Amino acid sequence: MPTTALTYPLLAALSAVLLPFAGFLLSAALGKRAGNGAVATSAILLSLLAACYAFAQIWNQPPIHIQWHWFTIGEQAFHVGVLLDNMAVMMLVLVSLIALPVHIYSAAYMKGDPGIHRYWTYLSLFCFAMLGLVVADNLLLMYICWELVGFASYLLIGFWFTKDAAVQANKKAFIVNRIGDIGFLIGMALTYSHLGTLDTKALIEAPETLPAPWLTVAGLAFFLGAMAKSAQFPLHVWLPDAMEGPTSVSSLIHAATMVAAGVFLLARIFPVFDATVLLVIATIGTVTAFAAAYFALTQYDIKNILAFSTISQLGFMMVGIGIGMYPVALFHLATHAFFKCLLFLCAGAIIHEMQHAKETYGLDMDPQDIRNMGGLRKHMPLTFTAMLIASLALAGFPFTGGYLSKDALIVHTFEWAALQSGAAKLIPYVLVAVSMLTSFYILRLLAKVFFGSLSIRSVKKDIRIHEAPMRMLGPMLFLAGCSLFPLFSVNPLNDSYVWLMQGLTSPVSTLPPLRLLHLAIPVLTTGVTCIVAGVAWQWYVNGKYPLKGGGLFYRLSEHQGYLDALYGAAVVRPVVRLSQLLLWVDHYVVDGMVNGLSALGRSFAAVAAWLDQRLVDGFVRLIGKIAWGLGNVFRRLQNGRLQHYFATLFFIILVILLYHIVVLL
Amino acid sequence: MIPLTHFLIVGACLFAIGLYTVMARRNAILVLVGIELMINAAILNLVAFSRYDKTAYGGQAFALFAIVLAAAAVAVALAIILNAYKFYKSVNPEDIRNLKD
Repeated sequence: MPTTALTYPLLAALSAVLLPFAGFLLSAALGKRAGNGAVATSAILLSLLAACYAFAQIWNQPPIHIQWHWFTIGEQAFHVGVLLDNMAVMMLVLVSLIALPVHIYSAAYMKGDPGIHRYWTYLSLFCFAMLGLVVADNLLLMYICWELVGFASYLLIGFWFTKDAAVQANKKAFIVNRIGDIGFLIGMALTYSHLGTLDTKALIEAPETLPAPWLTVAGLAFFLGAMAKSAQFPLHVWLPDAMEGPTSVSSLIHAATMVAAGVFLLARIFPVFDATVLLVIATIGTVTAFAAAYFALTQYDIKNILAFSTISQLGFMMVGIGIGMYPVALFHLATHAFFKCLLFLCAGAIIHEMQHAKETYGLDMDPQDIRNMGGLRKHMPLTFTAMLIASLALAGFPFTGGYLSKDALIVHTFEWAALQSGAAKLIPYVLVAVSMLTSFYILRLLAKVFFGSLSIRSVKKDIRIHEAPMRMLGPMLFLAGCSLFPLFSVNPLNDSYVWLMQGLTSPVSTLPPLRLLHLAIPVLTTGVTCIVAGVAWQWYVNGKYPLKGGGLFYRLSEHQGYLDALYGAAVVRPVVRLSQLLLWVDHYVVDGMVNGLSALGRSFAAVAAWLDQRLVDGFVRLIGKIAWGLGNVFRRLQNGRLQHYFATLFFIILVILLYHIVVLL
Repeated sequence: MIPLTHFLIVGACLFAIGLYTVMARRNAILVLVGIELMINAAILNLVAFSRYDKTAYGGQAFALFAIVLAAAAVAVALAIILNAYKFYKSVNPEDIRNLKD
């Protein structure tokens, strides 16, 4: 039963959510004066402190649920409330913990941007929306925050709105997300029509209230929402394009705020999903993980590689949900948040310095293209260290957080697959292959960026790349620390010690353990990672690249599966055609009808005017003229001459007489 | 016995002469004379038609009334002409045009 008493942990959680909102309002009100970001940064710092307090009070304690009456429709009262359980407080801390370094980093990264005050405003809004989503106890409230997250990301991706690519990218992100939002909305509608309430708790406590086919439909609808938000194949296309935003924004979107929302939603309403939906989720997740890792192999844009790696890792999380182990998915979400945020911040630092070199030496190059880099290890050693840690975490190397979560995920997938039949048994093997691909593309990235020699030196000999400034390095090193194992587990090699998963595990989500796998899989994946690393080293650092490139698989990967072209041809072009057709119809049929009517009216009016002037007025004028003429005639008669009068008189009498003679005879 | 037509022709001629006199003369007195001629043409007609009223002689009685009235009219008209002459120093109807006011 929801309580109504305000306790300190609850107040702390509420303030953690509302402080960024206050920061948003204050930044918006201050306008250009908020350009240094002090408001937004202190808001998120206080929010982090409040979140930590709430976390300390609520973690592994009975959940706090508070509700207030919101509004009533008919008989049905709607409540707004906050549900603080382990999952919510974990996310609360995670979001603010990721957001804080990003804020500090942004202050240096975005320095000198003319629109930076807008940047802080949007960033605060983004954090608020995500934090609100995390604590909402109600699907409607969640949906509002969900939309706010989408909207804030739209603003941030299109932050440099004078760049056409950025505008296209934010439009794309928004439109693709709308597709998912429809799913969320349908799920909400189904929930409401069967349960009569939108409370998350009511839904997850009694999902069987929904009759069987509708439960599946609702599950798929919610998953559609998560697919768009968490960039699952084939709705992932917005995410690589979203790289047009500032890199600090990408790091936030990819780590904690935007893409995490989908996974979090699925974890939050997990009991809703029946076996069919879970299988769909696992399959889509596997496809996503594989496709994205495959696309990442041949990208040259440093941010694009990272974008695809995010999509791939989100696929892993989806598999985690799909196999019913949502605590593992959330754990992977948490570790991934740290190392992915760090990867992006490092990439941002590199791009920042490359851009700096480009401006200093007047080079004509793309600062994000890894072919222009190389040998940066010696120029930016601290960045290299941070990036190396993050990459190893991504590749799932021991002693990192990524190792714990990824191997846990793969192990549990094997355990799950043991209970499945048919093609589902393939899923864990695909995941192992994907983790190989992951190691390969991230080591390719490392090799191309940090090893070898600086490519742009072939243009100019004396080019020097500087280390990133301290205000950027600080957050990066902090996150590097968080990417390592001690934050998550005392035992670096065994995931059963992870406190996070222990806190999240619920009775519904356990699988019969296969003890042997817990040893075999990590050894296997680590071994494979080492071999792949060796291959990548041989290929890219030692320059013994054996492939020619340009083959079918290469092109398929480089063009990201031609999905954008497919969507362009299958969706965008028909829609544009349809719009053009409708425009034509509007122009010529609708407007034509209106214009025709008006032309008709005008011609009628012209005829009426002509009739009025010529006929009516003419008649009136004619009468006037007749009167005037008669007057003129008869005026002559009255000339005062007596004899003329007589003559007239006589004449008239004569006429009368003649008339009588003529008529009477 | 003289047929009625002859009387009527004489009356008509008399009337026509009177009419011409009234319309053409430049002397008001002669205009008056023309009027008398026309009245007499009418009286002649009355007398001529009274042949058909042998019992009451209505036509002749009317003729008598008309002669009396004509005399009275002449008297009044002469007085008017005299006054007009005093005012305009002329008896030419062409010179007297104030009737149009």
